[in-house]
Amino acid sequence: MAPETVSHGFGLGRPGWRASLDIVRTVFIARLKIIFRYRLSILGETVMPVVFAAMPILLGTAIAGGSEQQAADNFFRYTNAVGQGTTDFRLYMLLGSNTFMLVSLMLWLIGYWVRREQETGTLEALYLSPAKRIHILAGVTSYTLVRALLAFTTAMALGSILFGVNPLAGNFAAAMGYFLLGIPALWGISFFFGALVMRIKEANAVIQLLQWVLAFAMGIYFPVSVFPAIVRYTAMAFPPTLMNDAMRSSLLSIPSLYGEWYVVVGLMFMAAWSVPLLGYEFFLRTERRIKRDQGVGQF
Amino acid sequence: MPQYLETFLAMSKKVLVEYSRYPIAFVALFVQIFLIIVLFVITSFAFETPGTGQAQTTRFAAMMAYGFVTNIILSFTLWEIGFSIREEQVRGTLESLYLSPTNKFSNLLSRVFAILLWTAAISIGGLLLVSGLVGGLPVNNLGKALFVLLMTTTGFLGFGFIFAGITIRLKETAQILVNGVQFFFMIFSAQVFPFSVLPLAVQDYVSRWLPVSYCVDLFRTTLIGEAPELLPNDVLVEYAIVIAFGIVSPIIGYFYYNWIDRKARTEGTLGEY
Repeated sequence: MAPETVSHGFGLGRPGWRASLDIVRTVFIARLKIIFRYRLSILGETVMPVVFAAMPILLGTAIAGGSEQQAADNFFRYTNAVGQGTTDFRLYMLLGSNTFMLVSLMLWLIGYWVRREQETGTLEALYLSPAKRIHILAGVTSYTLVRALLAFTTAMALGSILFGVNPLAGNFAAAMGYFLLGIPALWGISFFFGALVMRIKEANAVIQLLQWVLAFAMGIYFPVSVFPAIVRYTAMAFPPTLMNDAMRSSLLSIPSLYGEWYVVVGLMFMAAWSVPLLGYEFFLRTERRIKRDQGVGQF
Repeated sequence: MPQYLETFLAMSKKVLVEYSRYPIAFVALFVQIFLIIVLFVITSFAFETPGTGQAQTTRFAAMMAYGFVTNIILSFTLWEIGFSIREEQVRGTLESLYLSPTNKFSNLLSRVFAILLWTAAISIGGLLLVSGLVGGLPVNNLGKALFVLLMTTTGFLGFGFIFAGITIRLKETAQILVNGVQFFFMIFSAQVFPFSVLPLAVQDYVSRWLPVSYCVDLFRTTLIGEAPELLPNDVLVEYAIVIAFGIVSPIIGYFYYNWIDRKARTEGTLGEY
């Protein structure tokens, strides 16, 4: 009888925390290595938010008749009507664009990771490996976070120089605190997003569309309080809107749409633990459903 | 039927079949354009001086909306050609496609044909939306404006061919470059605002040197029915620049693409990604 090799996987053995950490580290380094082959991409991510901020600044100045002072006055009048009056429309736009880019990048990178693995035919192989999904996802999301933070910091510095604004003038420490507190919720949303791409596959179109829905919901160029009540409350329930508003209110010294600072902190804490849990659960459910239906190999 | 036409039809059919497999993508594209337009319209309300006359609001909206039409044509041309080449690279079908005896020009053109038809529909829908929001957009000299738009589109095809070549060479990074170029023209060719907003130095040393600026300027001022911003006293010169751009750009683009293609074959890098 010919010898036969049968794989029994790990059997009763389970990978320890070192092995799990190694998976996270390996995925993280692999992704970083890939992106460092395309350095111009990183430069692009620095310039893009500055361009996004430049457009409404130029547009606004044009509408106000070419006068910056008039533009600032008009913007103050508009934002003051909803209780967030500020004349510093340049910093307002720059912050909005940068936060938008941060959120957008985290979604893009997770969505594209799933899509790329599908297209190159490695997603199925990845699912057959004995590594837990949470560890692979942790590696990918850590990479997206590093890349997004790099883009955020450099774009903020470049934008501040180009537009002549000082982001350190407001309560910078509070803004950074809100920023860090907002990250776990973004992780959670990216799990939702990854699951969505895995399910409907048309990653490019979905990401591009959701990106603009996001821009709308976050109020990158104007406060969401200008929307009708239903749209406004829906937008305000979205964690990136909370993060954006919290950072703006601390850096521009304007009241938050959500109320006092402790309300903002409370809401952010709530989002920080609930959204990742919900996101991961959604990802697992979608994954199970796909495996039961057609399998993850199809694209 | 000539081979180039047969290739064009077959490839266009393939692109349409592919699109039909992803209907959400098509709808998403449509909705996305509307969202961008509404986003900018709401932003413009935030800067409006109280008591601004209806005529001024309409003129500004027209400048923005007509300029935006040229922007989406440029954007889709660059993205569709460059991105589809990239997709073929990633899937590993680019090399086999290039080893087949199909006509290269038809191959490239077919990648953008379907999306341009869709862009036309999106543009009309977007203009109707803005028109509804601001109480009507001015429409003058429609024939002339469409001719300018046709020349603009063929000129953009040249950019698309260049980007197809760049994608073969730069691979992943080309997408970022596409984004960069798209936003470069959006700002320096004043695609969503009048040129008068740009600092004089930018107008003189950057905008006036870009043929795309003249395309944007001539298209929207023709429709609005006023003198162009860049060369108000030399409309014919603007026409000459736009026509030259529409004819020369695809020729240069195609030659560049062929050169890159030959180079990649010689170096054996066509299959790499």
